Amino acid sequence: MKTTQHPVRRALSAIVLATGGFALSIAIWASGSHGFALGALGFYAVASIVVFLWAGGRGDIAAILGTNGDERQRSLDRDATAITGLAVTLVALVGAIVATARTGNPGAFGVICFVGGATYVGALTVLRRRR
Amino acid sequence: MRNRVRELRENIGLSQGELGERLGVSRQTINSIENGRYLPSLPLALNLAQCFATSVEEIFTQEET
Repeated sequence: MKTTQHPVRRALSAIVLATGGFALSIAIWASGSHGFALGALGFYAVASIVVFLWAGGRGDIAAILGTNGDERQRSLDRDATAITGLAVTLVALVGAIVATARTGNPGAFGVICFVGGATYVGALTVLRRRR
Repeated sequence: MRNRVRELRENIGLSQGELGERLGVSRQTINSIENGRYLPSLPLALNLAQCFATSVEEIFTQEET
């Protein structure tokens, strides 16, 4: 599929990765681990460049990274996102159970479970009105 | 679901990439449709039918169970 890819669309995944990596690096720096922070910054900078270059290539992964995919590629992206959500949900639930058993409080895992559950219910409520 | 996309595409002498280009989808998507791994949306099926100057029913048929 030869389509003229908008530079911003091509860079979107790389920008998200770079922004997240930069924020994480600042957090690590603020915690006092300056060497680790610089390492993380370098890692995310290289990863962002790789993603940007990959998004300009051909094939399914490039199209998905460049947010420029066709219907099948978008469905692949949706399914992969759903599977990722299931994995995160499983980890959050197990983490909440273990944290509650150890400390009597689910902690951050509980927040993730709550946000995930509330988002799912909210999304279902909105989506069922649209379809 | 069976389909005749490969046969109809070859009849009009197009490669998978060329057909994909006409329809605004990737070569990989055409390949997946031809091999029965991906069922296209109704708009894409209609575009395929238009491209082959036929009907959707002529391209896609329900497999007998």
